[in-house]
This record gives sequence, C-alpha cells and structure tokens, in this order.
Amino acid sequence: MPLAEILKTMHDAVVGFDDEGARKAAEQLIAEGFDPFTGIMEGLAGGMNTVGELFKKQEYFVPEVLLCAEAMNAGLAVLSPHLKAGEARSEGTVIIGTVQGDIHDIGKNLVKMMLEVGGFKVHDLGVDVPHEKFVEEAVRVKADIVGVSSMMTTTMMGMKKLIPMLKEANPKVAVMIGGAPVTPAIVKMFKADGFAASAADVVVEAKRLVAAAN
Amino acid sequence: MAKQLLIDAFRGKKTSRAPWFPYAGVNCAFHINEKAEDFLKDPALIAKGVSTTAKLYRADGIPLLFDLSVEANAVGCDLKWWADNVPSVSTHPCSGMQTPAQLGLKVPTKESGRWPVIMEAGRQTKPLLDAMDCAMVGLHCGPLTLASHLAGVRIFTDIYKNKPFAHEVLKFCSEVIAASAQFYVDMGCEIIGIVDPVASQVKAESFEEFVTPYVQDSIKVIHAAGGTSIYLICGDCTKVMKNVCTIGTHGFAIDEQLNLNYVRDMARKHGVGFGGHLKLTMALSLGLISPREDAIASLASGGTEGFVLAPGCDLPYDVSAESMGQVLEAMDWYAENYPAYPETED
Repeated sequence: MPLAEILKTMHDAVVGFDDEGARKAAEQLIAEGFDPFTGIMEGLAGGMNTVGELFKKQEYFVPEVLLCAEAMNAGLAVLSPHLKAGEARSEGTVIIGTVQGDIHDIGKNLVKMMLEVGGFKVHDLGVDVPHEKFVEEAVRVKADIVGVSSMMTTTMMGMKKLIPMLKEANPKVAVMIGGAPVTPAIVKMFKADGFAASAADVVVEAKRLVAAAN
Repeated sequence: MAKQLLIDAFRGKKTSRAPWFPYAGVNCAFHINEKAEDFLKDPALIAKGVSTTAKLYRADGIPLLFDLSVEANAVGCDLKWWADNVPSVSTHPCSGMQTPAQLGLKVPTKESGRWPVIMEAGRQTKPLLDAMDCAMVGLHCGPLTLASHLAGVRIFTDIYKNKPFAHEVLKFCSEVIAASAQFYVDMGCEIIGIVDPVASQVKAESFEEFVTPYVQDSIKVIHAAGGTSIYLICGDCTKVMKNVCTIGTHGFAIDEQLNLNYVRDMARKHGVGFGGHLKLTMALSLGLISPREDAIASLASGGTEGFVLAPGCDLPYDVSAESMGQVLEAMDWYAENYPAYPETED
C-alpha cells in the first residue's frame, strides 16, 4: 500500500477513535519499510490536529478527544520503538503541570502528549504543583518552556504569582499558560510568553517560543 | 432584598426588576476574615459569613454553600482542603472500574460526611436570611460531575466504551444527589440548584443519555416540596443549550462564556428562567472590564422576564466588596434609568 494511503488510514483511525485501526496501520507502515517518524508526525499527529479542529468547531468534545488520544497512543506504541536514535531529537525541554490548588489534568495530559509527539522532552510535574516546585524543576532540567495549566478562575490567579518567580530564576525561560479560564488578555496581563487555545495548537506555539529564545 | 422576585424570575416570570443572586461561596469566608477551610467546617462561621455577605451584597438569594465536593465526600471520597478555595476531591473509588455497588458505597444520610455541619449551618442561617427577605439557596453537585469525582477522568470515555458501567455509576449518583436535594428541602431552601459544570464538556446526545435522566430524581424531590429548581452549568454549553432548557428544572444558569442574548432567547422559547453571567475573571477578579459596565450589559441583555443577574460561577475567595459594589451601582443606575424596561410594560 502506498505511504500516503497508510498515513490517511492512520489519520482516519485517530479521528475515528479506532485504536485497533491505528495499531494495524502503524504495523503496516513498519512492515512496508516506511519511516516511523513520518507515520507519527503525518499520520498520528496529523490526525490529532484534525481532532483539534473538530474540538474548536464543537463537533468533538472532551470524551471524543480523549478517545482519539487513546487511538493515537495505540499507534505510537507500535511506531516509537522503531524510531532511529537521531530521530528522537528534542525540539526543547518542557516542564508541565497544573497550578497549585488545582487537580484537573485532562487538558494538561493532552498537551503533554502533543508536545512529546511534536519532539519535545516533557517533564510532567502532575497536579497541584507548588510554585516553588515549578521553579526548582525548571532550573534543574534547564527547561526552555514551563507550561502551567488551570481549570478554575480561582487557581488561575496563582499563575500571576508564579510567572515572576520563574522569570527571576531564569529570565530566558518561556512560560506558556492554558486552561479553561485562560484567554489572550490574561496571558498579556500575567506577562506569560505563550498561550495555546487547545492542545492542537500547542506544538506550533512551543516551537515559536523556542525559536524566539534562540 | 426580595426573595419572591428571585423565585419568580427563575420560574420564567416577568419581574419588576432583575433579581440579584451572587454565588458567594467561600467569598463569604473572606468577608468575615476567615480561611475557607475553617469557615466550611464551622456552622456558626457559615451562618455568620453567609448572612454578612447577603447583607453586604443586598442579595435577593445566596447559596448556603457553593461546594461540589460535599456529595463525593459523603460517599467516602477524600478531600484536600485549601485556605482560599473549596476542597478538592482527591480519591476516585470507581476509577478501577468497580461500581458503587461492588465497592459498597451507600447513599448518604444526614449523618454522613459533612452533612451534620451543613444541616446545622442551614438551621442557623435560615432565620437570618429570612429576616432580610433573602432566599437561602441549596446547591448540590450534578450527576455527571459527581460521577467524575467517583470514577475520575475515565467516566468521559466510559460513556462510549463501557456504557453499562457509566450508567451504573450515574444511577448511584442520581440517588446521592436526590438525597442532597431532600436535605436542602428539609433545611427550608426555597430554591435548590443542581450544579453540573462538566456537563458542558459532552455532546448533546451524550447529555441526553448520561445527564438528563440522572437529574430527574432530584427535580422530583424539589418539586414535590413546592421548591424552585435550577440547573447550573459552566463552560461553553452552546451545543447542549437545548438540553439544558428542556432538562425539567424551572430555570438554569450559565457562565460568562455564553452570549446572553442567545441564552435569553432560548430560555424564553422554552418558558424557563435563566441566570448569569457577570464576568468573574475579566471583571470581578482582574478588573480588565469594569464590573459596573459588565453588569449593565448583562441587565440590558437579560431584561426582566425570567432573568436573574448572577456571576458566571462561584466567586473567587477574595473578590472585594468594592468590585461587587460596582455591580450594585449598576443595578441601581439601571433601575433608575430603565424602570420595568421593557417587558413589564403592558
């Protein structure tokens, strides 16, 4: 089967939350000798980009996005072990976590997955992460980007305190914030560097931030 | 203050002005200089905070609590407490795909979890609010949100992949929240709300299958007691707006993300009341938009037929009296300049 056809099958399996279909397409791609990195970026991640668009149009909601992510992971499980050493390059190092006081993590987990697929090395600090922990870990791993998520207005206000702490520890680190209550106006007010309205946009934004810093 | 205006508006009726219903949960603790955790654990502090805030805000109605962890805790989930927020539910007993029945979870009684504190708080608070002609509103967790507390994130994929399990969890949740509704009826709450924030995160077909059936027991309890029922939902619920309007409650409330003109038209089409939608983040917390102007815009859109002026969601702990004062100014200015405008003119 031609590569383009396999990639479309993989893409459609992700969009159709078909774990088995994604897995089989990934196995076929390997069997045919095609590049697994292409399969990941154009098949699986491509499918999640479409999912992101469907989410923005409110045709897909949280359950559908989570199911699509499971299908993508089914394909990733097949392709990742076949990546050549040099292909597992890092676009940058990211710390990600849900802000102190907040235990919601659906969005954060989707963003983490997209960043990993997009070639970033991601350190996930989990939920309810104290401000000091964000700062310590960002310094320890020499993070290029710190991603902070919140689901509630009340906890989002903590980002306003956290961002200056991160910048004081490392003025060059880029801070990306996101979550249900976060808007571009708040990104500006809190002096964050980046924002992604959905997981589908996050890789482009993260690459922009890394490029801007270099 | 005018309790009956609030009841009438939530039932979709015309009113002489839009009633005012501030969702001051732990914000009540702020106004009596108490930490949220201490406030929520002490009936006397709840009574003091709620009555103080109702007076400060000139509220027509105020929740006794705005805390969606109560039901989960009452069936055995652990909580993490905060100084400036409601507790978070930190354990999810059904997340390993064991049903509530298999785990031996029980429908709460008035002795379960924090209910003894809440019942006593209601007993102390009711007469204080009655004296101000302010409705004491009981808010309990909605079924899908409670299911997400019990089963964790998996409930969102279980509604596709493991439907029988999802239905069993939700059936149990419907019994739990019906019990909560009865407790609030017994406390004398004239208005009882079902608060289901995560329900905006599913599509209309999923809402119809996994939310609507599981609020009916609670609604029956409220209506049997002659109470007024409302359904509160957060997030962009545009795609499930029709479901919300037809869920069976007298009225509903939405958050700041929606277009209030659209919400108003939908509510009136279905003959229900609607509440909202002051911008918590942009106006009341951050002041990026003037709270006064935001309130005027809401009052103008909402009108005086079935509309209740309310924040988009639970007020953050430290929202100041000054910010809310701007909302009160807006209400006074609007009433003076647009008396009974335009719907009550015959």
